[in-house]
Amino acid sequence: MNPTTIIAVAGPPGSGKTTWIRQFLASKNLTAFYCCPGMGEESVDLARIGYCYPSVQVFPEEKTPEVLSNLPDRALVFLELGFHIDVTAPPLSTLPCRRVAVLPPGLENSPQSSEWHEWADEVVAGSEVAPPKSEEMPEVWRTVLSGRVFDAPSLDEISIELTGDAYGKVQRMKGIFELPDGKAFYVDFAAGLSGIEYTELPISRWLNGRPDRFSGIEVTGWNLDKKTIADTLLGSCLPDSAIASYQEQYKAMLANELEEIAQS
Amino acid sequence: MKLAVISCIHGNYEALNAVLSDIDDCKADEIYCLGDLVGYGPHPNAVVEMIRSLDIPTSQGCWDEDIVEGLNACECSYPSQLAEQRGRLAHEWTNEVIHPEVREYLATLPMTLKKDNLCFVHGSPNSEHEYLLPSMDGFAALERVMSVDADVLFCGHTHVPYVRNLEEATLAVRVKEPGKGERATQLETPVKKIINAGSVGEPRHGRPNATYVIYDTDTMQVELREVPYDYKLTCEAIIDKGLPPIFAWRLARGMEFAERADDPDHVCQR
Repeated sequence: MNPTTIIAVAGPPGSGKTTWIRQFLASKNLTAFYCCPGMGEESVDLARIGYCYPSVQVFPEEKTPEVLSNLPDRALVFLELGFHIDVTAPPLSTLPCRRVAVLPPGLENSPQSSEWHEWADEVVAGSEVAPPKSEEMPEVWRTVLSGRVFDAPSLDEISIELTGDAYGKVQRMKGIFELPDGKAFYVDFAAGLSGIEYTELPISRWLNGRPDRFSGIEVTGWNLDKKTIADTLLGSCLPDSAIASYQEQYKAMLANELEEIAQS
Repeated sequence: MKLAVISCIHGNYEALNAVLSDIDDCKADEIYCLGDLVGYGPHPNAVVEMIRSLDIPTSQGCWDEDIVEGLNACECSYPSQLAEQRGRLAHEWTNEVIHPEVREYLATLPMTLKKDNLCFVHGSPNSEHEYLLPSMDGFAALERVMSVDADVLFCGHTHVPYVRNLEEATLAVRVKEPGKGERATQLETPVKKIINAGSVGEPRHGRPNATYVIYDTDTMQVELREVPYDYKLTCEAIIDKGLPPIFAWRLARGMEFAERADDPDHVCQR
């Protein structure tokens, strides 16, 4: 890789764009930047990268010109492009960058079969996600859930229902959720891949009131019943009294554990 | 004698009809019902009327009790906040549509029914709300069967049918009473059996089909029956009657309307 490089990464939902990018983010020899154009000021991917790689500078789309014009030496900039972004239109079509398309293995091996092949300098095999069943472009519904703490069994139920197409046909679901033990989890689903993945995020436990950090959900699919999804999500969130009660219990438990360690 | 044991119909009239036809085909001599005639499903009154018209001996289920006594659930009734909200919604809807004579009938249902060495309960002999899960501690399970002086205990409530044999056991009990010292007793128990009849109207085995059991009192053979029916009619009725559409989605997948508790060591506090 060149000392300063901009890499634009595109592909269908769930194909593994973020996974492909993540392999470069742990490097200590480069100053890495990360942005998800088209996903607004706050997004699940942006927050997740920020939580997992504190050394990576994540920035919202509107700061792109400013960031690109002030890059330090040996910078590596990743622009993760949502599937809904037209990669063939300016400014992306004219941006001097390396273009990588992360495509499901079937699609990767059939050149010229997608606009990504025409656009990309390099095609990378990603996850074996199910190809969208509809010709129609899926919609993306997202909402910020910062400050919300979920009842874990309810979160499990709504995840099963959402990804089982109870509220519309879902191609992709990802989210960051806070739980009452103060931990935050990244939850990931892509149609065609097995199950729903829950990964604990490497951030400190939040045990003092409602968490003042980003959490949220993004659902990609067709005919999404957004109101019912939102209502069910809200119905799965704990009230202040329950959050306080759980946090007291976990704080006491952690204090006991520390005491036991000190005594041993 | 062939007994058909049905449970947990939950206002699903289509499923009940299909099961009654299957029972006819199996030429069962008697039918016993383990309750939960109402709750979640769209036809609570019709289900009760059918059970009454056939004079089927029925023990009271937790939903039947709640419609009579009001909600007063232990945490095991609602393993998640979402399940609790949905359960309350279904309770309120059922409470509104139920006919007065149906409520009166539900109030008359006994907690346990006995026939010779057989006992019929909804949850457990302790409570309509207690789950006898197949993984429950063996000693606790044996205690539940012995407490009603039965050899075979029929239950429902979990919505997943199973047969559990509790092998012959020797129980040593020591009782310490103030001023009387310690008294030791040994009890020998023959093989006991717990038979869970599953659910007619709200299955939880991953398919929408109704389940129930046929028990032969002469051979002690148990047959777990699974009966397909037109569940889409019930799903349509759920939506037509204004119940949450998610109930229809879950019923079509054999997922229950709301998930249940899964801790086999939990002792219901209801």
